Amino acid sequence: MDREAEFRRLYEANRAAVHAYFTGRTGDPQSAADLMQDVFLRAWQHLEKLTDMPEDRQRAWIFTVARNLSVDAHRHRHTQAGAEQALAYEPVRPSQPASTAVIAAERVAVVGAAIRGLPEPQRVALTMAAAGGVTSAEIAAALGVPAGTVRYRLSLARRAVAEALDRYDDLTEK
Amino acid sequence: MSLDDDIAAWAATVRLPDAEAAAIFQRIAGTPVPFPPFSPRLDPSWWRHFTADFTARMVASTRPVRQAA
Repeated sequence: MDREAEFRRLYEANRAAVHAYFTGRTGDPQSAADLMQDVFLRAWQHLEKLTDMPEDRQRAWIFTVARNLSVDAHRHRHTQAGAEQALAYEPVRPSQPASTAVIAAERVAVVGAAIRGLPEPQRVALTMAAAGGVTSAEIAAALGVPAGTVRYRLSLARRAVAEALDRYDDLTEK
Repeated sequence: MSLDDDIAAWAATVRLPDAEAAAIFQRIAGTPVPFPPFSPRLDPSWWRHFTADFTARMVASTRPVRQAA
């Protein structure tokens, strides 16, 4: 198999999970795309080493790079993240003329605000599961934590989102 | 609408679009590949030859010198 085809296989198998991981950490899909590019650039440069590994170790290697990159990126964006965190707690107010599309958009905004307000470990787990399409066992392997811990974080995160939606529903019914 | 549907609807808004993912792939695959560092290596049979030669010299050097009659 040629180099580019091998890299494409690796990229397609992992890009969604890596992008979701960074979205969970940074709260910003665009920054996540930039960070994901940095991770896969390193994978491209070390492809010979990666192709000798089994698939689970390839993903572990990729997420080790991702975790190290993410920490650095967070250091630079510390101030910005603080501002985002503060904004995340602003309650979403339902608008009066509520068409189906508007309600759907508002519910997405409520879910997004609730997720941004979660503690980082819960936010990362839920974003990886929902946007990255990875199982709790795969998240656990990628993050280097027990699968039970990931399931617990997902459960707490889902409960927080459900409560935010309940509050929204209460406001719209009044 | 179920909680899963609400979360899935939000996830669709943050997921990386395929076109952007493809553009990132092209950018990365277009970067030059670093050459592996050059490391001169000895022939793998070197140690075998060296050991055989060394052993032969040792055996020859410990052989008693034949005295002239």
